[in-house]
Amino acid sequence: MKRNRRSSDSMSGINEPNMTPLIDVSLVLVVILMVATPLALQSGIGVSSASSTGKKAAPSHTDRVEVSLLSADSIVVNRQLVHRDRLALTLHEVLAESATRQVVVRCADNVPHGDFVAVLDEARAQGAAEIAVAGR
Amino acid sequence: MAYTRKRPEPITKINVTPIIDVALVLVIILLVTAPMLSVSNLPVNLPQAHTREAEDQRNLSVTLSEDGRLAVDNHDVTMDKLAAAIAARLAEPGNKDLLVVVRADSGAPYATVHQLLDAARIAGAKRLAIATRQKMDGAL
Repeated sequence: MKRNRRSSDSMSGINEPNMTPLIDVSLVLVVILMVATPLALQSGIGVSSASSTGKKAAPSHTDRVEVSLLSADSIVVNRQLVHRDRLALTLHEVLAESATRQVVVRCADNVPHGDFVAVLDEARAQGAAEIAVAGR
Repeated sequence: MAYTRKRPEPITKINVTPIIDVALVLVIILLVTAPMLSVSNLPVNLPQAHTREAEDQRNLSVTLSEDGRLAVDNHDVTMDKLAAAIAARLAEPGNKDLLVVVRADSGAPYATVHQLLDAARIAGAKRLAIATRQKMDGAL
């Protein structure tokens, strides 16, 4: 009788699902997502330097759009002063008329980098093919 | 012929499955984190933008924090030595056409950012990009 009970004990085994691999994989996914999220959210805007494009490649003044940031709110687009709120509309209009859709951006020294990038982003959103950063 | 139930033999070998599991997980984590290791850990609040381009896996990052500290990849540099540091990295084999990404804080003045772009151009960078943080629609 004693022998029979031992035999039944050994056959019972582990009858619960093994959670360890599931937890392991879940934790790994959490770690990978935590690490990869900042990389996935970082992006960039390609720019070229206006002075390095060369004279031959430089389009005429009528073809390219010139944008100058005087301050965060006042921007000059092709010698026309534009408020920041109307920049998208103005850029859309001038880029539609431009053959090369090249935008040359100048910026005042004290303008925060965030405002400068916002203008580059707006130009790209309105269809700028190439963005060049010119000297001050 | 009587039916005799065979008892299973006990497992006497070492279970190597968890070791392989952990090892593969470490490999994956290293693969994922490798690109991050080359980026400086200076605190930078990147400007937000909708545009999503210039996402080369291999690039040379130039980081500018709000307080003016500079780093090329994960090495701190000064403005005087910036062009030389970029040129040295671009001179390495296979780095000739490397994308130079300027990671400047959104509060940094443009004058400093322009100095970075100039330094990169003087150092021979052919491809330049300004790093941004992806703007989510509806986000503050």
